[in-house]
Amino acid sequence: MSLTKRSLAELVGTFLLVYFGAGSAAITLMISQGANPPNPFNIGIGALGGLGDWFAIGMAFAIAITASIYALGRISGAHLNPAVTIALWATKRFPTGDVGPYIASQLIGAALASFLFAASVGMDAVKIGGLGATAPFPGVSFGQAILAEAIGTFLLMLTIMGVAVDERAPPGFAGLIIGLTVGGIITTTGNIAGASLNPARTFGPYLGDYILGGNSLWHFFPIYIVGPIAGALVAAFAYDYLSKD
Amino acid sequence: MKCYLCALEKTNTDAVAICIVCGMGVCMNHLVREEVEVWEGGYPFPAKKLKRKLPRILCKPCYSVYHEG
Repeated sequence: MSLTKRSLAELVGTFLLVYFGAGSAAITLMISQGANPPNPFNIGIGALGGLGDWFAIGMAFAIAITASIYALGRISGAHLNPAVTIALWATKRFPTGDVGPYIASQLIGAALASFLFAASVGMDAVKIGGLGATAPFPGVSFGQAILAEAIGTFLLMLTIMGVAVDERAPPGFAGLIIGLTVGGIITTTGNIAGASLNPARTFGPYLGDYILGGNSLWHFFPIYIVGPIAGALVAAFAYDYLSKD
Repeated sequence: MKCYLCALEKTNTDAVAICIVCGMGVCMNHLVREEVEVWEGGYPFPAKKLKRKLPRILCKPCYSVYHEG
């Protein structure tokens, strides 16, 4: 399969992840607009159903990721995430020349998703929903946010290594398990720093918000580059160390 | 072993192959041999088509059912 087609598949997969996943966070904020959050840590997601709001967002991500992996996994590998691509490259499982095109495609797919989500929903998706952008929640420091993103992505990458990369893994389950893993991580850690786990997933809404007149959140972007990439790298190398005789 | 399909036609021909689906012994006139593409890999790596193909022999009835879906 040509690099062009594989890159296009990455673009489509990341588009689906951001449109449906980040879109669900934006919709939740729009639905809860006007609700009275019980404490300052609650910005609206959680005002209606507590952790159930985060579970719903997590499931939206899980379903979009699972569908993308089963639909596109044989074409591009369905990384959908620069942190995953970099971790596979760092452990010598992915060619250096493909890394740039894959990451560029993931970022473009994420940006397209945010713009088309705004086009689908209207400007309230930007003004109220923030296009589902991630940011540290009230009281969460920069360092804590990086730590939460790194630990979340560690679990995601460890799961990818165990159920997909390892040839001893039972075939056929990877898409389902990895989608559900992301859903679980979002449910638990979403209210810390948004549980992005993915620089592209944050890049799309940030660019959309910036260009369409929403909040500029670029000063938080290093959190979503450093945390996920560090977590994915540690997980990939740790798995290699643990799984060898 | 004799060709089962020839035997049904009251002829007596030696079988040269076994259908991989139904196990029937078949002669050259009653078999289809095709080389099937083999793909390796998949998530999180792109699947690759291997250079070598896998030869497969089916009897004609199984072949027609297989291609009708």
